[in-house]
Amino acid sequence: MARNRKNQPAAVRFGPALKASLLCLFIGGSGVGYVWQQNQLLELGRQKAEKEKRLNTLRVQNSQYTRRLAELRSPKSIEVRVRELNLALTMAQPTQIVRLVDRPDGLPVTRPSAFVKDTAARSGTLPAGGGRGAKGQIERQYAQRQPPASQGP
Amino acid sequence: MVQPAQYRRLALLALLLAIAFAGLGYRLVDLQVLRHDDLSREAAGGRENTIIRPSRRGDILDARGNVLATSLFVKTVCADPSLIGTNQAIVSRALAPLLKMSEAELAHKLEPRVYKDQTGRDHEDKYVILKRKVLLEEWEKIQTAMKNLSFGVDEKKLLRRERGFYRNLRQRAIFTEPVDDQLRVYPGGTLASHLLGLTAARDRVVEGKAVTELVGKDGLEAAFNSALDGTVGWRQIESDRGRRELVIFREEDVAPRPGLNVVLTLDAGVQDLLESELAPGVENFAPVSISGIVIRPRTGAILAMATLPNFNPNQIGATTPMANLRNRVITDSFEPGSTFKTVVVSGALNEQIVSLNDVFYCENGLFSFAGHTLHDAGHHFGNLTVEEIIARSSNIGAAKIGMKLGESRLYKYIRDFGFGDHTGIPLPGEVRGTVHPVKDWYKVSIAQIPMGQGLTVTPLQMAMAIGTIANHGRLMRPMLVDHLEDEHKQVPVRYAPQTVRQAISEETARLMVQAMKKVVLPGGTAPKAALEHYTVAGKTGTGQKPPYGSRKYFSSFVGFFPADEPEICIAVFLDEPDPKRYYGGETAGPIFKAIAERAAAYLGIRPDVEAPSDQPVSRAEAVAESAASNTLTAAQSGGNY
Repeated sequence: MARNRKNQPAAVRFGPALKASLLCLFIGGSGVGYVWQQNQLLELGRQKAEKEKRLNTLRVQNSQYTRRLAELRSPKSIEVRVRELNLALTMAQPTQIVRLVDRPDGLPVTRPSAFVKDTAARSGTLPAGGGRGAKGQIERQYAQRQPPASQGP
Repeated sequence: MVQPAQYRRLALLALLLAIAFAGLGYRLVDLQVLRHDDLSREAAGGRENTIIRPSRRGDILDARGNVLATSLFVKTVCADPSLIGTNQAIVSRALAPLLKMSEAELAHKLEPRVYKDQTGRDHEDKYVILKRKVLLEEWEKIQTAMKNLSFGVDEKKLLRRERGFYRNLRQRAIFTEPVDDQLRVYPGGTLASHLLGLTAARDRVVEGKAVTELVGKDGLEAAFNSALDGTVGWRQIESDRGRRELVIFREEDVAPRPGLNVVLTLDAGVQDLLESELAPGVENFAPVSISGIVIRPRTGAILAMATLPNFNPNQIGATTPMANLRNRVITDSFEPGSTFKTVVVSGALNEQIVSLNDVFYCENGLFSFAGHTLHDAGHHFGNLTVEEIIARSSNIGAAKIGMKLGESRLYKYIRDFGFGDHTGIPLPGEVRGTVHPVKDWYKVSIAQIPMGQGLTVTPLQMAMAIGTIANHGRLMRPMLVDHLEDEHKQVPVRYAPQTVRQAISEETARLMVQAMKKVVLPGGTAPKAALEHYTVAGKTGTGQKPPYGSRKYFSSFVGFFPADEPEICIAVFLDEPDPKRYYGGETAGPIFKAIAERAAAYLGIRPDVEAPSDQPVSRAEAVAESAASNTLTAAQSGGNY
């Protein structure tokens, strides 16, 4: 006997229902996702704007600190400070400055006086004869008063 | 069955609907087509906006990186009087101390105003500038003051509309211009003011917006304006109803390019000591002005350049005399007097027509030539060697050397030493001085010019000329800017020392140094310029200012040390010093000495004269002594003191 509609099995047709549900879910999800994304964009934009504002404020503050630092480092400001604190700082006199000649590599350090003369002669700061004047005298004195250094090979 | 009445009703409904749709359609066409442009512009005007992003003007730094000129972003504080209602007194009482204005003045500015537009319609004025150049911290205080403003009413009991009024007053009545202004600041005050110069505000339109920019008007600010000046940027934004930017709809975003920093050869420490040593010269000799220059002869680098009286560029105003703004080192020219003898003698030595030991008869102080009588100011010299002519500054001796040199050769050396021409210093307003061509000379010129009369030179030209002798005969271009750098310390432009020409031979320069060393020895014209630890070579000058006999002088001393290997050349000039003490050796000489001693210590220049009190020292003793003494050396402190 042929089946009529009434006699069709009562089983639910899940396929179309699932498809419809998935479609709804997709459309709904897309909508929610879109809104979420837009919110995220707005929020990130807001954060970016805040950070830019903060950066700008920091730049302005930085320029103000630069200015303050420059004022504090200006010779007049230092002079006033030295006077206020009664530090009695003065410029060093030429006689108070001791100049030491660096030892170039390869020179023996066993003969300080010869070393100073050699170095000075090489660097052109002293004539080969040992030099005259205050610089020569100081260097000679330094060379003469150096204690014997470690003996080289 | 459908009744005819129902058809009629249906037709009527359809007609009404058709009319309604036609109306809507017309409205749609009106909005979207006919008024599209106006409406879209209006909509965009409220929503879209272009923000100008100002560029920061570059700094001016000294050779050690100390800031000499910098820029601060500052606010322009404005008000909307329409939001203040009748509360002017309360607002002005709170803000007047912060804006440094009187309450009455501020209250007056906050009064509501009405203006007429082009069509004659009245509008309420919603924009009034209260104060320009307000620092950020001051603006923050103003915002706090507005937020805490009390109107003496219990606002909770007020109607919503009234509460909204007070909220708007607190939040929106006082605001700032969207584009920050810049304030040029000179942390050193008067330090190097003539070199740094001035800026002024200039209005410009960028992307349809008015922008106020700084533009250099004098000094380095003007000369390097294009480098210091950056490029403004802009940003096209969209805002929501609350005028908050919707960053995702940002279209164009062009970042501003800050200006380049200008790094000078100038040393703030040397500049300060130069200015502080020139100041006593003003007190002691009461000149109209006093100028000083410190240069490195080898490179032409200017370490310091000052003129007193000066000005404070932070407080420039109508009360500052115009004369104080002039950088006299380059804008004023004078008859140099005896310092010019160095040029004549250099020329004669270079041409080998005289030697230092050649003897000239100096006519016992009176020499008649071309209808004029030349004098040796207060001296009656007989025979003098060329070296003595320099050391004792004999006018007659110099005149005779000039005559021996001849007009054309003298003129050549004058020009070779850079006189009558711009030195090339990168500052506006430099004059050439006056050097007449030989065809315009009088008969007496050949005798007058060697003693520094009949031509005018600027103090800088004179300093560079003596620097030429110090630099083995090579004339250098004065160098004031070492390099330009961007905000990341990258160096797009570096300036190298430039030799203009070899004015005299090295041997001639050496002979000149030998002669000029005698100037500061006993018997010379400037023993007061001698230094204890250095050999000095220099020359004094005491030029009469026309009209001659008016007892107005231009006194100078230009010298360098250590004489044989010069590190620095210092020039001091006094314009119209006290007529009782006007000789260069008496006035400028001691000032030179004071500057030189401090500059040598500051720069750590190696002495070349053996000190009599030197005692043998060891390194250990030296270190101990240095630690024990309250001495701050330039080397230890990085040279900032």
